[in-house]
Amino acid sequence: MIRSLSEVWIFFWRDLSVARTYRILFVLEALEALFGAAMFYYVARFVDSPQLQHALPEGGSYFAFSLIGFVFFDYLNAAMDTFDRSLAEARDTGTLEHLLVTQTSLPLILAGSAIYPFLVTTIRIAVYIAWSALLFGFPLRDANWPAVAAVLLATLLAFSGLGILSASYVLLFKRGNPAKWLLLGVSSVAGGMLFPVTILPDWLQLVARLNPVTYALDAMRAALLGGAGLEAVWRPLLVLLLFAAVLLPVSMAVFAWALRRTKTTGTLMHR
Amino acid sequence: MVPDAAILVDSLQKSFPPARSGWRSFLQPFGKPTAAALAGISFKVRPGESLALLGANGAGKSTLLRILATLLFPTGGSAQVAGHDAVLDPSAVRRQLGYHAGTDVGFYARLTGRENLRFFGRLNHLSSPLASERIAYLAQQLHLEEGLDRQVRTLSSGTVQRLSLARALLHEPRVLLLDEPTRSLDAIAASEFRRFLKSEVLGRGDTSLLFASHTLPEVELLADRIAIIDAGRLLACDTLAALKQTTRSATLEEAFLRLTGRTPHLTAEEGSE
Repeated sequence: MIRSLSEVWIFFWRDLSVARTYRILFVLEALEALFGAAMFYYVARFVDSPQLQHALPEGGSYFAFSLIGFVFFDYLNAAMDTFDRSLAEARDTGTLEHLLVTQTSLPLILAGSAIYPFLVTTIRIAVYIAWSALLFGFPLRDANWPAVAAVLLATLLAFSGLGILSASYVLLFKRGNPAKWLLLGVSSVAGGMLFPVTILPDWLQLVARLNPVTYALDAMRAALLGGAGLEAVWRPLLVLLLFAAVLLPVSMAVFAWALRRTKTTGTLMHR
Repeated sequence: MVPDAAILVDSLQKSFPPARSGWRSFLQPFGKPTAAALAGISFKVRPGESLALLGANGAGKSTLLRILATLLFPTGGSAQVAGHDAVLDPSAVRRQLGYHAGTDVGFYARLTGRENLRFFGRLNHLSSPLASERIAYLAQQLHLEEGLDRQVRTLSSGTVQRLSLARALLHEPRVLLLDEPTRSLDAIAASEFRRFLKSEVLGRGDTSLLFASHTLPEVELLADRIAIIDAGRLLACDTLAALKQTTRSATLEEAFLRLTGRTPHLTAEEGSE
């Protein structure tokens, strides 16, 4: 267990060491978050009305609702990108073969490669919310932080399964995964990112109910804006954990199969 | 119990599916293997022994090394490293081997040489102090001290090659697989590399070496025995002296050309004689 943690840590250390060589990027990303928060604030000022606020699940401002939708959607993006991007980078730089001949197991290589991107996404979200709270009155007073942390963790686990499935596709077929774009596209409409799913037609609401993004955003808004505790968000949390319980083992098995297949066909390093 | 073979290859076969283009490339992972790269090769490398793989481009040398490194699955036969099957027990195999391919170095370009070595050392279960100790030792032996604290992207290809060899040796493997190890090295660096391999790795007697090379003096210097491969078949596997004797050749080059059925290329001067 300690060795596994140490191996995961060494991947984080690797990614942090590489990122340190691009220091200006941290500043640029913080500025990007500032402009992003400002954009949502002014869009919300333009469209906000008492009727709209009444229609929102937490009854708050459209600014808070849409900002949470936008920044947490980033988690899905990160999950879908992280695994196949680190795989493609390892293949392109020639490190993939050298990682695979070490004594570190494949699940640890995958987990280790995901830690830094997920942490950076979390920090980016925190910076967005910090700018919004400092400059534009984003309401943080009622936030229930233990519930926020629990929702984040469950979201990360559920989305990781989708990311590993996407990486399996890239391993086999070398090209971008069409299912990834389909999921991101569907989720942007039927996931509750910028508007509540209750305004969608019935059949799209059904799609939304099958989408882990919907549960992640519902739970996050409830915990962050509505101050809901674990006892109030247990239902979406349970759904997210169920998604994780199914997707993680399935995705690991699919990835292991895809790796075996590429070792059989000799296409592991093909681009 | 110590196995009597560091490497045991038995009737090893490997075929690849044909390359496809356009939309058919999506079917390649499921295609039926047709092109044979290895056609039933068998040999053994004893503990502490050095065996060279000699063959033309496409003879199957790299395929063989990649199967032993657990990066490829064979189509038939078996390959064992230190008594562990490369397909059935790949993690046990990886504990025993160091792998270096001269064609593909695979480092993180923006990390320093030392950071790269530390990273791969930790993935091979070296503790931080032991990794530092091994890095310092190998850097001295391979003349890497100057490049160790510079980003890999700023190093010469020869230094990167030596760094790659240091990575393969970091965890003191019992079996070392080298694929054209001196390919990108200049004459001096290649000579120092061979000296290091001969005295510091093979000289200790506890490391077995299987390497592929096109450089005949390198093969003659480092190999206890030489395996000559052509079109996926093992034509001969013996000592240099025995190969010369059985083929009635004066040099390894001549023996190789005779065994593979290729005629030595005559120069204009020789042809006119």
